[in-house]
Amino acid sequence: MLLSLVLFAVGLYGGLVMAPADYQQGDSFRIIYIHVPSAWMSLFVYMVMAISGGIGLIWHMKIAEIVARSSAPIGASFTFIALVTGAIWGKPMWGTWWVWDARLTSELILLFLYLGFIALQSAFEDRRVAARAGAILALVGIVNIPIIHYSVEWWNTLHQGPTVTKFDSPSIHLSMLIPLLIMSLAFTSYYFSVMLTRCRSEILEYEANANWVKELLTTKTASI
Amino acid sequence: MATRFTPFICILKRDLIIACRNRYELINPLLFFIMVIVLFPLAMGTDQTMLRDITAGMIWVTALLASTLSLDAMFRTDFEDGSVEQLTLSNYPLTLLVGAKILAHWLVTGVPLILVSLLVGYILSLSYAALMALFITLLLGTPILSLIGAIAVALTIGLRGGMLLSLLILPLYMPVLIFSMLAVNNANDGLSISAECYFLAGLLVLAITLAPVATAASLRIRLS
Amino acid sequence: MPRFETQQLESIRRDNILFKDISFSLDQGELLQIDGVNGSGKSTLLRICAGLTLPNSGAVLWDNTSIDSNRHHYLQNMTYVGHQNGVKDALSVHENIQVIHALSGTSDVLDCTSTLNQVGLSIDEDVLLGKLSAGQKRRVGLCRLVLNTSQLWLLDEPFTSLDIEGKALIERLIVSHCQQGGMVIFATHQAIEIEGADIRHIHLGKTNGN
Repeated sequence: MLLSLVLFAVGLYGGLVMAPADYQQGDSFRIIYIHVPSAWMSLFVYMVMAISGGIGLIWHMKIAEIVARSSAPIGASFTFIALVTGAIWGKPMWGTWWVWDARLTSELILLFLYLGFIALQSAFEDRRVAARAGAILALVGIVNIPIIHYSVEWWNTLHQGPTVTKFDSPSIHLSMLIPLLIMSLAFTSYYFSVMLTRCRSEILEYEANANWVKELLTTKTASI
Repeated sequence: MATRFTPFICILKRDLIIACRNRYELINPLLFFIMVIVLFPLAMGTDQTMLRDITAGMIWVTALLASTLSLDAMFRTDFEDGSVEQLTLSNYPLTLLVGAKILAHWLVTGVPLILVSLLVGYILSLSYAALMALFITLLLGTPILSLIGAIAVALTIGLRGGMLLSLLILPLYMPVLIFSMLAVNNANDGLSISAECYFLAGLLVLAITLAPVATAASLRIRLS
Repeated sequence: MPRFETQQLESIRRDNILFKDISFSLDQGELLQIDGVNGSGKSTLLRICAGLTLPNSGAVLWDNTSIDSNRHHYLQNMTYVGHQNGVKDALSVHENIQVIHALSGTSDVLDCTSTLNQVGLSIDEDVLLGKLSAGQKRRVGLCRLVLNTSQLWLLDEPFTSLDIEGKALIERLIVSHCQQGGMVIFATHQAIEIEGADIRHIHLGKTNGN
């Protein structure tokens, strides 16, 4: 947690203060220090979710089920942040909050996949059934994500010219790149720390009947 | 080897007989389809050129919604009367039996939808090429819808409401819709549609291989 | 020799321990009743034995191997009749029997009338199942036992909605199955006395409240 805070501070300072303003976009490009890492993380978290879900499904590992379950809301919020920052960025760049850009659209679909996963999980009463059902959905989703992504890309390029892509030009100056990488490290460590915290509380709830939890509770209350 | 397919054919026959005895349930999705088609001109006005431009898209979206609504029936009664348990515990692979059920479902809902779509397309004066493209994409696409839908139905059967089901499957349906509409638009412009059709056929093969397995696994999870 | 065994089964529902440390074994010809009040987990235990539900811990063994690893072999030797009959109202009696027969995997030729006679039904085979009474539907569901050649029967409340004569008939089926070397586990809260059979009991009840 501390690590991610430090990385956040360094990354934000580097990104917002040290990196030069873009010659085309001025200062508004600086939102990529939030936008890009959260977009990366949104995909990464889904992969973690699907893989750990699969592990839980095949080997009945409780920890993997819990990891998948705890990741979903975090991943959904990353996706949401990526969408919102994308829209905020889009306003000065494209003059409108929303364009049917391929990346934005597939990001939106990804958000739907996350929300579907969360909705399915909350619909079951029994946690383990919920975890296994969610795992199937996540696996189906992971097979579909590349298909969705490429179909959306294809749909998009045929519908409108590549006017949008010039904003995402891959050549990026080092002084901009380094803060970006630091920011994505910060996002990753933030994800892991939050995920582990959530896992801890999930496990405590899961095992509420187990003796060691009761012992933990009594020692904690005794020490207070 | 003939014995392997006896249960497959038996389940197929069983579901077809049941469907024929509940004729009214078969007609409902078709009525829904036609009514939604009527809603479009009511909402958008009767501008002939504009309507002709969106006819194919309208038909595809409506067919997609209609097939979503009819999905729920695939396992509902089986779940309520305990048949799913017996399918799971039979001496044959559940994947095979589930495959039979999906095929039966497609035959009784997908095929009539295709026919009605063509009829509606003809009445609304789609060009011959567009009509052919519509037919081919529906022929390749609706089985994919049934197959993907089966996974989600198996996961959500007996849970509250159909909203959850739609939330889960609509993101997964998007590639099918995109490729189909690209094909129809290409056909309208006099271009070749083979690329899109190959893509749809590929998706269909993928869905046929993976969906019954995932559906069988989902049913097992749902029962526990 | 086939043998059914459970090892330290535990089931948790909504953070409450339903039961734990359920271990028993069944040899050929043995008959076991699971009893207990409503909600004590009889059905759950039976579903775990059938491999439908996963236990929270513990294992179910058939022939000394876990039923998870040897699922196909186990399914060939086990028939489960649950709360619901698993028969379709929209099909005729004959069609229902056909489906059960096809799924049972036996190569025997189906004789529908004699199957129905074995569960004490003499009715028009072409009548829709939905038109029958609850007890008659139950009997059609119990046809599974006659059509399958499994050694192990798992029956969940087999006597519900059956009349006295039907109950006696099912009891006779159970006894003769055991005498031929089969095994039967059934769950019911009723006190059951079956003539000529020695019933073992597992009692599920309050698990000391904590």
